[in-house]
Amino acid sequence: MFNDLRRLVGRITERFKRGFYGPTFRCPVCHLVLAAVDADGNGLLVCPVCGAVIEIEAVYGHIVPVVLDMELSRPQPKLCLHPLATHLPIGLFPFALLGALVLLAVTVAARLGLPGARLASYAPALASAILVLLVISVAAALATLASGLWDWNFRYRRRTYRQIRLKIACSIVFLVVGAAAIALHASGAVFAGSGLMRLDSLAGLMAASVYLVTLGGDMIVLATLGHVGGTLVYGR
Amino acid sequence: MDFDLTPEQQERVEAAREFTREWISPNSAAHDRSGEFPLEICREAFKRGLMNSHVPKEYGGLHEPVVDHCMVMEELATGCSGIATAIDGNGLSQYPVILAGNDDQKRRFLAPMVEELMFSAYAVTEPEAGSDVARIKTTATKVGSDYVLNGVKWWITNGSVASWYFVLARTGEELTGFVVPADSPGIVRGPKEINLGQHASNTVRVTLEDVKVPERNRLGAEGKGFDIAMATFNHTRPGVAAGANGITKAALNIALSYAKRRRTFDKKLISNQGISFKLAEMMTKLDAARFLTHKAAWLFDRGLDNAREAAQAKWFAADVAMSAAIECAQVLGGYGYTQEMPAEKLIRDAKIYQIYEGATEIQKMIIVSKLLRMREVH
Repeated sequence: MFNDLRRLVGRITERFKRGFYGPTFRCPVCHLVLAAVDADGNGLLVCPVCGAVIEIEAVYGHIVPVVLDMELSRPQPKLCLHPLATHLPIGLFPFALLGALVLLAVTVAARLGLPGARLASYAPALASAILVLLVISVAAALATLASGLWDWNFRYRRRTYRQIRLKIACSIVFLVVGAAAIALHASGAVFAGSGLMRLDSLAGLMAASVYLVTLGGDMIVLATLGHVGGTLVYGR
Repeated sequence: MDFDLTPEQQERVEAAREFTREWISPNSAAHDRSGEFPLEICREAFKRGLMNSHVPKEYGGLHEPVVDHCMVMEELATGCSGIATAIDGNGLSQYPVILAGNDDQKRRFLAPMVEELMFSAYAVTEPEAGSDVARIKTTATKVGSDYVLNGVKWWITNGSVASWYFVLARTGEELTGFVVPADSPGIVRGPKEINLGQHASNTVRVTLEDVKVPERNRLGAEGKGFDIAMATFNHTRPGVAAGANGITKAALNIALSYAKRRRTFDKKLISNQGISFKLAEMMTKLDAARFLTHKAAWLFDRGLDNAREAAQAKWFAADVAMSAAIECAQVLGGYGYTQEMPAEKLIRDAKIYQIYEGATEIQKMIIVSKLLRMREVH
């Protein structure tokens, strides 16, 4: 069951990658997967991780990369703001999602009179903590996006890599969806004054569903951002 | 003598080349790493009429000449010989049915394969009997109107995905061929073997435990199985040689592309005679292997004995592929030894051509056996 799910997720991811990146090849030096479409008109591109200047040519559909040079004098930002800033959203957002799931479980337990209902007294504090976590992580994502754009401008010389395009697109999605989640939370449509979810009415049920889907979707976007960012640091 | 391709052959080769560029080459490294069977690619190949093309017209196929098939196979294997083997694996098991099957057997086992994507497998090799087919131990005991088969078949290509198997089994002293549906009770398919190369190709163990096979699934008369199995190779060996030629072509293309662009000692790599001569040798050997392959296929298409030529083609093309893959890695230098470049995969993939469908030594034995019957070589 778990293996089937993993295989299914792997297949979906693979299909997405194939569609987004198109034909790919690995940098012969750092092993980063690079998109052939990122090469310029002369078939040249610079690996964003190791700085290898690669010329590519497709023969019979096989992409044959040739390392022509190494770009050694790459501007390195003195303050590594982007890697530092990424830790806030990536570190805090999962806890906001986890807190929301715990509150959902506590609300259901309270409604059904299950043992977990005793935790309901902590619900107001937990709901407030979730909101704080969401606000900090989404606000920090703004700083992360800004510092990422700064790095792209200087370190990567505004070269259009698929990975960076994906990161920019995912960052914007994360910000918009995250802001929507904050608005929903703060509006009181999802949580009652007791801190428990409003599952007793259709409107409340819908709001809670949208809220959880929003958080879950944003978590997937964030994981994608983290994964792609990781490959830009470590190559393979 | 005419070396020109007919418009139909040209069209077929171009279709196979386009399919290779679009579907096989871009996915070859991923399948090599994962070992996943290329079902999606086979589905597309089936849609484009690149599978089961040798099935006779009366059963829905194209009845493609072996020469044409070799040209297609060379193109597919240039992308990835493992994926090409998965696509073309059906031919080896279908040919015994084409050769020795009656109309009913052809309608039941061949016709459905051109209507929907299905696989079949040639289950002859056993753990104790590879090149020496006569040693096989799988038994077929007649019980009423059925045969009961027991034995272990080994390294069966497409074994996990096959809908039926061509099985060679011992009926007394002689060998007999059977078509065994894969859903027959008593068939146990083993896990995929982790081989040196051709990771996309599915190779498994198939165990037969009291498998009942009706008499109407017996191919030809009792005791004719060995002849059927051997005659099959006269049809399939040119195709195998063509697959090896595909590897040679890939190796040459990759080495050429690299040598023309990589710079050493302030000049292009290809400017070094030591490198350029390698490319010249690869090209010449590829052409020589192709000519042997097409001659063997042409003889078969004319209904002439091609056993010697098929053996020559298979042996020579396999050796050329192996040496070309190694030379390709040499041209690429250190990069040729890494997994990030396609050269090392070619070396791993090429090796099997010197082993399967009769090892190189068996091919030489066949050639010598034919020479022994000649007074003079003209």
